[in-house]
Amino acid sequence: MKKKELLKGLWSQHPIYRQLLGMCPTLAVTTTAINGIAMGLAVIFVLFFSEFVVASIKRIVPHQVRIAVYTVIIATFVTIVDIFLKAQFPQISKNLGPYVPLIIVNCIILGRCEAFASKNKLSNSLLDALGMGVGFCWGLFVLGSIRELLGAGEILGQRLLPLNFDPLVVMILPAGAFLVLGFLVALMNQVERWKI
Amino acid sequence: MKQIFKICAVLTSICAICAFLLALTHNAAIGKIEENQKKAIQESINKLAPKTTRQEKIKVNNTLLWKLYKDNALIGYAAIASGQGYGGEIEIMTVTGPKLEKIKGIEIIKSNETPGLGSKISQKPFKAQFENLDVTTPITYSKTEPKKPGQIQTITGATISSKSVVEILNKKIKALRVNIQ
Amino acid sequence: MENLILIFISTILINNVVLTYFLGICPFLGVSGKMESALGMGMAVTFVMTLATSISWLIYYLVLERFGLTFLEYVVFILIIASLVQIVEMFIKKYSKNLYQSLGIYLPLITSNCAILGVALFMIVKEYSFLESVVFGFSGGLGFSLVLMVMAGIREELDFADIPETFKGAPLTLITAGILALIFMGFSGLGGG
Repeated sequence: MKKKELLKGLWSQHPIYRQLLGMCPTLAVTTTAINGIAMGLAVIFVLFFSEFVVASIKRIVPHQVRIAVYTVIIATFVTIVDIFLKAQFPQISKNLGPYVPLIIVNCIILGRCEAFASKNKLSNSLLDALGMGVGFCWGLFVLGSIRELLGAGEILGQRLLPLNFDPLVVMILPAGAFLVLGFLVALMNQVERWKI
Repeated sequence: MKQIFKICAVLTSICAICAFLLALTHNAAIGKIEENQKKAIQESINKLAPKTTRQEKIKVNNTLLWKLYKDNALIGYAAIASGQGYGGEIEIMTVTGPKLEKIKGIEIIKSNETPGLGSKISQKPFKAQFENLDVTTPITYSKTEPKKPGQIQTITGATISSKSVVEILNKKIKALRVNIQ
Repeated sequence: MENLILIFISTILINNVVLTYFLGICPFLGVSGKMESALGMGMAVTFVMTLATSISWLIYYLVLERFGLTFLEYVVFILIIASLVQIVEMFIKKYSKNLYQSLGIYLPLITSNCAILGVALFMIVKEYSFLESVVFGFSGGLGFSLVLMVMAGIREELDFADIPETFKGAPLTLITAGILALIFMGFSGLGGG
């Protein structure tokens, strides 16, 4: 059990705050904490099974078509997640909307398949997927919580700020997403510098 | 030559396996998905007309509607109005009074309007304007405070979405009048 | 005709692909450092996007919908886009060595540019006709290019400014994008909406 493979996705090589991957869904769905978590879980599922398949068949895939093959595999798992959400959790499916199919082009998934799963053994690939996936999920949760808190005074639907707090609606809008993420990445940079 | 053959073979077989897997998943889930849609429709009817004890679903001239009864008295009609909004189709569930003089309210079942702007048509403040709205004459809209009965105020920055809702509703109410008479 | 002009203007300014729908952020952050590469990437994306929406529309309505295979939408669209990008890359490599050098690794990245898949998916949701979809794809690409070039211009200026270490690079680009998004919100009155 290589602990390092699992933990790197959680902090040191964090997909969002350190590698700056998967920006599109990060900005789009983090209007509330719960949407962030839902998207995070969907990504963990797709990442896990995609890395599973890629690491398993890496020997028989010719080099020239590997990207096309990985993409088809990823698209298949994303479609499965999409169908699953529509059937079992229609409200979340509506909230996440078109960003579920966009998981296909979430650079994190193709990135990990190409950079890791195609070159490492199955067990390590699965750990990598879990680490990166969970890291992505907590990253979304933090961003979503901040935007929900400042934009609506709530987190996970629970009113946390006093009722006379005038919500900063801009937080729920696209502009707010960019601003909060920008500051969070700066914060991560600062924390890394303090460590050194 | 052998290379190209191998490439095509691998790509094709992977695509075939994936397509098969998706077909399986789709068939397994389609029942539940359609059930969810039916549930959403029922929930919106219940929300708008909670006192309904019995519903009668009928089709008149291609128009689908539900006759709503409380005990044995007809208390209104429910119908789905749909049309083009700003970002795609908008589907609205509306419940009218028995004489088609008022609408009890609206629920947006489906929409794809601009997040943060047009999407506000699904929210309380906009929807509330349609509660017990007078529809003896077509609904009108204004960018400022409504000045007459049967008029609603459009959402700032989402005039087209708001207008679309009004136009879709007017068209449906007109069709209902023709078909119910 | 009026509808087409409305789609054209709104996709570029009001519902900008990058600033409203968050599509294409990765290349947006990666390629907006220099005006030259921004322009090249913008043109490539516009070209691919227009072709992608046209071809995807045809395949969706003439094949998938007709045979009840719409659940294959995502897989088919991404294959179309991947192939298009491959062809464009071969084309540029053959006819413009300079452009190929400057775009470098970004070309294959266009495949995973969520903007292209996103625009293709949106046109299906919005139920656009063929002509509307082509205009939508074209203006989506233009909107992307516009924002990319504005960003490049700003970043080239920022290169001369004194920025705190922590904010250098991505944080500053994101914050600038946020301010740009705020500015573009002002356009929402243009559509009469």
